[in-house]
Amino acid sequence: MTLPARCFHSLGIFLLHRQWGQLCALFFKAIASLFSHSRSLKTDSRNIILQTFFTGVEVFPILFVVATLFGTIVIIEVISMMGKMGFADFVGSMIVVIIIRELGPILTAFLIAGRSGSSLATYIGSMVINSEVDALATMGVDPIRYLVMPGLIGGCIAMVIMNVFFSMSAIVVGFLVTKGAIVLSGNMLNIQLTWAYLSSEILNAISLSDFIFIIIKPLVFGAIITTNACYQALNIPRDVRQVPKATSRSVVKSFLYVVVADVFLSLYYFVEYMNNLSTLI
Amino acid sequence: MLDEALRVEDVHLAYRDMAGTIFSQPRTIGFFRREETDPQKELFSNVNLVVNRGETVCIGGGSGQGKSALLRVIAGLIRPTRGNIFYFGEYIPPERLTALEVAKRQVGMVFQNGALISNLRVRDNIALPLRYHKMGTPAEIDEKINMAMDLMRVRDEADMFPHMLSMGMQKRVAIARSWAMDPKLLLMDEPTAGLDNYNRRNLLPLIDNMRTLFKTTIIIVTHDLMISKELDCNICFLHRKKLTSPESFDYWLHSDGEISKELFRDLRHSG
Repeated sequence: MTLPARCFHSLGIFLLHRQWGQLCALFFKAIASLFSHSRSLKTDSRNIILQTFFTGVEVFPILFVVATLFGTIVIIEVISMMGKMGFADFVGSMIVVIIIRELGPILTAFLIAGRSGSSLATYIGSMVINSEVDALATMGVDPIRYLVMPGLIGGCIAMVIMNVFFSMSAIVVGFLVTKGAIVLSGNMLNIQLTWAYLSSEILNAISLSDFIFIIIKPLVFGAIITTNACYQALNIPRDVRQVPKATSRSVVKSFLYVVVADVFLSLYYFVEYMNNLSTLI
Repeated sequence: MLDEALRVEDVHLAYRDMAGTIFSQPRTIGFFRREETDPQKELFSNVNLVVNRGETVCIGGGSGQGKSALLRVIAGLIRPTRGNIFYFGEYIPPERLTALEVAKRQVGMVFQNGALISNLRVRDNIALPLRYHKMGTPAEIDEKINMAMDLMRVRDEADMFPHMLSMGMQKRVAIARSWAMDPKLLLMDEPTAGLDNYNRRNLLPLIDNMRTLFKTTIIIVTHDLMISKELDCNICFLHRKKLTSPESFDYWLHSDGEISKELFRDLRHSG
């Protein structure tokens, strides 16, 4: 090999030996398997829909409760604190930043990683242990296409829908619960809150980039969670004790990767903010 | 060369390669990891085997000699440490030797535990590869499934899940699943292990049917040496890391070698 070729080769081997390199490789393989030779729309769509329901719908009750309580807390705290400190104009943008932009997608991702990512890892891990994955491969059925791809696509779709549900129920149902709390406690905190005020504040604060990130963030997080779960599960050596280890790894590593990805995605807002700052000055 | 189904040339397998394909890892890593191994750490070395089309060969040997590992190597689930494997006269280079690539050449495998997909019913288990590869219209696939189930006599259990079936049933379903794919070369890992005498007697004619009606080449890994007598096929042994050449049952029964003394002692006394 020539020198550049050798450098390129060793770089590639270096990347593929890292865990995130293998994760990316698995992700691209799963995407590439969408376009593979033997594709049947019926089987694929059924698998994907099943996986979407499994990932999304069954996590909905707990997600709804978490979103409602979380939204209530945020609304009460923001309105009471900001009003006291004289920043009443920033109520809408605070709620947008906290619920829609940052914590909504992250909390949804954590819930889905904890529930659906772990169950995906156990499911595929037990298949590896029972050599069902090997059986699939000897039948010519690509395990990455049959197992990883539906999980990946279904997870992304469910993540987007659940994220929208989370933000909506955090704001709308959270508002209702706050109203209820105000009525029940005889307005102890002295909060003046109407739906017209809250909605107009939020609509004023929300920007086009927020709408784009409502889609992009959950897509990235969903891809990370499901790819990581499948990766950890397929990585199991033939040992039953490795299944619970892989499951816990899939959850914890998903948390880590999701937060790291969130930091990188948030860089966009920082850049935007810096640009605005220069125009202000 | 034309009527050759499988040729295994100088295959070595080290213990460290036995974990098999890990589907999450890119194949490149394993391919560029070139280390010399000393022969002490090899499960078997210098294995040569030629199987002609339509022929049935049994591979015997004591437990722990690597019979199943050899079968997994042939199925492409384990990449051999060294050596070449030809399927139907076609050489697959080691960087492309995967189970998917081997399966494209119509090589089927029946696992020791059946390895049925546990969340699919028996019917869907058999239908899975057919539907995946789109081998015919839905009506044709249904017909094929029914034929396979009739052949292996699991028609009554068509709508059951694998965990409702006994071990023997699962094995028969697994054979039906492999058969439905029309394999030219069928690898069977211990088809009679864990079966009672009645089911075993039922299974052997089925294998015989498959061989005579569909001209399937069959490789059976077994420790049940009577299979080779009842199927009237050659048997070779994996012994001390080497694979002996295939010989008939009677040859082994009456020969004076070490293998015959170890493995055929009981059979000699009884027969």
